Amino acid sequence: MSEAALERQIRPIYDALDHGSNKSAINACNKVLKKYPNNSLVKALKALALTRSQKVEEALVICDDILATVVTDDSTLSVMTHVLKGLARNSDMVAMFDSAFKQQPQSEELGVQTFFAHVRTGNWKSCQQVATRMHKQFQEDRYIYWSVIGAILQANERSTPQNIRTLLYKLAHRHITSCPTPSYMGVDRFHLHLIILQELQLWDEANTLLESDVGKSICSASLVCNETRRDIWRLRGLYKEEGERAQEKIKNNDRNWLEFVSVLDAAFAPVRESDTSDERKSECSQNLEKTRVSLAEIAEFDGLKHRSAPLALLELEKKALSHGITSDVNILVESMENYFSQFSDKACCFEDLRPYVDLGVEAKSRWISFLASQGLSFVTAADLQRVVNVRKLQRINLVASDISTDLESSLASKYTEEYMAGLELGSSLPVTELQHADDLAILAGHALVSLWTMTKEETHLYNAAVVLEFALTKSRMSFQIRLLLVRIYRLLGAPSLALEHYHAINIKQVQNDTLSHFHLTRASTFSLCSTGDLTYPSECIDSSQIYLSSSQDTPDFIIRAFTAEKYSQIPEFVSFDERLENSLQRDVVKLEHVRMRMTHEPMNSDLIDMELIELKFVFNRFHHDNRDFGMLPNYQPPCQPSLNDQTLMFGNSTGQGWLWYFLKIYIRAFQHASDLDDIVEEKLLIGDRPKKSSEPEVQLPLKERLAIRKPEEAAELTPDELQFVEWATVLGDWLEPYHNHTRPPPAVVLAEANKQNELRTGLPLRGVDLKALNGDANANGHAKKDEEAPPVKEPPQLVAQFFEHMHARFVQLQQSQSLPSDLLHVATLTQEAFLLFGVETLRFKTASVVKIHKLGALVQSFKDIRSKACAVLKTMSNDLLKVAEVAGSAERRKSFVEACQPVMASPKLHHDFVLNVAKNVGESRKKVLEGVAKGMVKICNNYGQ
Amino acid sequence: MSILRPFKANDLFRFNNINLDVWTETYGVTFYLTYLSRWSDLCFTQEAPSGRLQGYILGKAEGVQTDWHGHITAVTVAPEYRRLSLGRNMCQRLEFVSDEIYKGYFVDLYVRCNNVSAINMYEGMGYSVYRRVREYYGNLGIGKDGRDEEDAFDMRKPLSRDVLLESIRTNGRDMIVSAHDVS
Repeated sequence: MSEAALERQIRPIYDALDHGSNKSAINACNKVLKKYPNNSLVKALKALALTRSQKVEEALVICDDILATVVTDDSTLSVMTHVLKGLARNSDMVAMFDSAFKQQPQSEELGVQTFFAHVRTGNWKSCQQVATRMHKQFQEDRYIYWSVIGAILQANERSTPQNIRTLLYKLAHRHITSCPTPSYMGVDRFHLHLIILQELQLWDEANTLLESDVGKSICSASLVCNETRRDIWRLRGLYKEEGERAQEKIKNNDRNWLEFVSVLDAAFAPVRESDTSDERKSECSQNLEKTRVSLAEIAEFDGLKHRSAPLALLELEKKALSHGITSDVNILVESMENYFSQFSDKACCFEDLRPYVDLGVEAKSRWISFLASQGLSFVTAADLQRVVNVRKLQRINLVASDISTDLESSLASKYTEEYMAGLELGSSLPVTELQHADDLAILAGHALVSLWTMTKEETHLYNAAVVLEFALTKSRMSFQIRLLLVRIYRLLGAPSLALEHYHAINIKQVQNDTLSHFHLTRASTFSLCSTGDLTYPSECIDSSQIYLSSSQDTPDFIIRAFTAEKYSQIPEFVSFDERLENSLQRDVVKLEHVRMRMTHEPMNSDLIDMELIELKFVFNRFHHDNRDFGMLPNYQPPCQPSLNDQTLMFGNSTGQGWLWYFLKIYIRAFQHASDLDDIVEEKLLIGDRPKKSSEPEVQLPLKERLAIRKPEEAAELTPDELQFVEWATVLGDWLEPYHNHTRPPPAVVLAEANKQNELRTGLPLRGVDLKALNGDANANGHAKKDEEAPPVKEPPQLVAQFFEHMHARFVQLQQSQSLPSDLLHVATLTQEAFLLFGVETLRFKTASVVKIHKLGALVQSFKDIRSKACAVLKTMSNDLLKVAEVAGSAERRKSFVEACQPVMASPKLHHDFVLNVAKNVGESRKKVLEGVAKGMVKICNNYGQ
Repeated sequence: MSILRPFKANDLFRFNNINLDVWTETYGVTFYLTYLSRWSDLCFTQEAPSGRLQGYILGKAEGVQTDWHGHITAVTVAPEYRRLSLGRNMCQRLEFVSDEIYKGYFVDLYVRCNNVSAINMYEGMGYSVYRRVREYYGNLGIGKDGRDEEDAFDMRKPLSRDVLLESIRTNGRDMIVSAHDVS
């Protein structure tokens, strides 16, 4: 058959793949392969179709076959790129292109593809080397820059020691200066050059670049270059010169705050060093005078158009005080008063003034009386904004001795009253607009939350919920109000309401990473999956989609940035990719999902082995905390925790320490239950392993790492979680020797895996030489070891008594009228312990294991613990049902409404509205309490025997 | 007071206070990376000295010959930082770069026909309506403002290279094209 005829046959395969009909693609491939069994392109296409139809094993066989030879033809390489990407075998991709490029070193396209393959794996060292080779071969300037940025990225890696870092920057410098065309031919090239000079502190060379006409012109148009230029001048101590340059820019109407910062830095340059002689001080005080005058002139010229100059005046006075150049705090207060008078009708006035309110006693009292003297009215939107600013500034000026329940109660009423008054102004606003008065409702929320923290009476939270729910009816789009409600409803144990508000904010894409902590932190407390309600696990999965899509897409864009020579973007993209890929929240949600899975999926080796492997990957990561805690406003006075901290459920969030603790517990328990040891895992796992963190602790043997306990990490756990963790540790210590003794040897496990695989795919496992392993395996799978099983020990006291202890804790919480969320916390942790006990004892469910190893006495002691645990869970379940009954009752609704009298003073807040909130809260609480209670019984029935 | 600086990929972790506002769309990561990997010098953000982002602008350069121009894809300011001329500053910067670096003939942007306050603002900044694009915001359907809700004005501002002011016209509001005819 001619080449054209072959092409005619291949076209339909591509078409089938394009249309997603993988099955027909496979058939078409098979047809062609009959005639051309060695056609690598068709083989690759078949592998692609197989990968896309999830037939990974078969695809792998073909891949290996193709990769055994050197592939150099473009189409096959391109198809294989997709196949290997789909199989997450980036290292194979690198090897494929490496050998192709070696064989055809004159092919520029292959060189580029090889380079990109290395980019995908983040191997910057190889990138740098390949690019250098490419430059030698093809003499193209951009390859020099590719190699330069390769060296810089390698230098910037956390694991690179300082001396190597410098060496790499020197290498980059050598490369960049060897380039025949000067770096100023492109803005991004120029920027890269500056970065290198900055790192190596080659100031003369930097000066030559920056002072050249073209350099100046680049910096005047490019913000990114100008940023680096400014940094370099600062590092060189050229504050005065930078200040003069900034003055010039300001004169030309540039109002970028950075220019004002430069002017201020120049004024205080003489006193930057620790030795501040009188001479320097007097120089500085002259500067102060001059700067005061010039800033005042600008402020006057700008009027209300720009805030920069008046704010720079504030900053100037604050700095003058802190450097001891002036002692007259009155000038600062006067500037604050002026500022307030000019800009108090802007929403940002509060934020602008906030950094300056930390004043001495006298100045503070002047400031407070100034605020108090403001004649407040509600005639225009500007008036209302002024009221809001005054209230916020007054609130953050409260000191501990001022704050009492009486004060907060009266403030809550005042804020609410003023909110209602302010609403009048917004009555004609379209529904999509935010009310001008919203912040007053949020302030009322602040006062009520503060009352709750002082008294622990949940009625204050009812009031807060009512005011905020009312505010939402007027300002449907206020995400701040919704987020605060999410927090309050979680505290109140009404998770379905929290979830509704969270969804209403319409959080998408990368926001899932930064904001899902609002509703997924410790979400297993509210999860009803034990009863088959999969709301929360689906929430976990949905919010984690972003990680999958991003890890596929972002490397493509790093490559695009190389192609477009946008060097300034490359380190940013790399860091973005790294931060999202290794996001702390990603893995906190992952663990939360595991905790939920355990309550509704059968406990078997599928779940345990899979999660063991994944959690071990998580355990090797260097995490980045991208959680955004700045979305809740904070107007609490400095003597109180922030509103964010006050409204965290159980008083803290789940950070790195929490994640480490829970990972250690789960990895260890899964390890015990699993037959996968390191040898087996190595053989069975295909594809690339995720990048391992370079932290020294991560390099320790896993067993040692699992035993590490650090107080700062423990501080992120609630006392009950800590109990749970301690119990799990002791339980693990007790049972570990029996697991290690009875676990089947690797050869047996692999033989079994092989058998399963053959049953499933008809193919033996790849890369597993059973004969070699078989030497030490016995045929029946339960090899009886030579040594005796470890002697059976009594269960440690902590293990035996844990469930009773948790029960006592539960009873105590019930008696102290705790929030339902606290009750659920203890109940779900007890249930979690019961399930973890199931995991730890799963291996000994098999009668033959117990018989062979004579572990009957051990298993007997499990039974005692299990039946005690069951009894406790059932009692808790009963109690929760009773609480649920009360929570949903008409009396409770009535008392809710009665408790809301303080906010119902306003005629706008109708009884029916409050009753409706009460009803919703009651129903939501009832649902979760009842659900958890019923789920507990179900779990007892499943695992109680 | 605001810092005007380049918009960066890592700002996606910090733009919630801007993007949680109902009028600002949050796109997939690839959308932002596409802009940054091609027109990073047309993407800026304004940042408060506290480090809080206040607003951002994303732009691109496109077209051929006398149609070569800067385009404002998105400009947005967080609710608490509105009425401070931040949007105007960012637009001016984009116009400056489109003029000086890209040597474009004009800068253009699309705006809903019923968004009167935005249209007034852009007119104050030197933009004028070049044409009306039918069903540009198609998915909304006809709302209470009728066609104005789903149609867009393509507004343009000439740059120094357009000496003869050929990129604008006075009767732009009457020039109606369909969404298929614009890029």
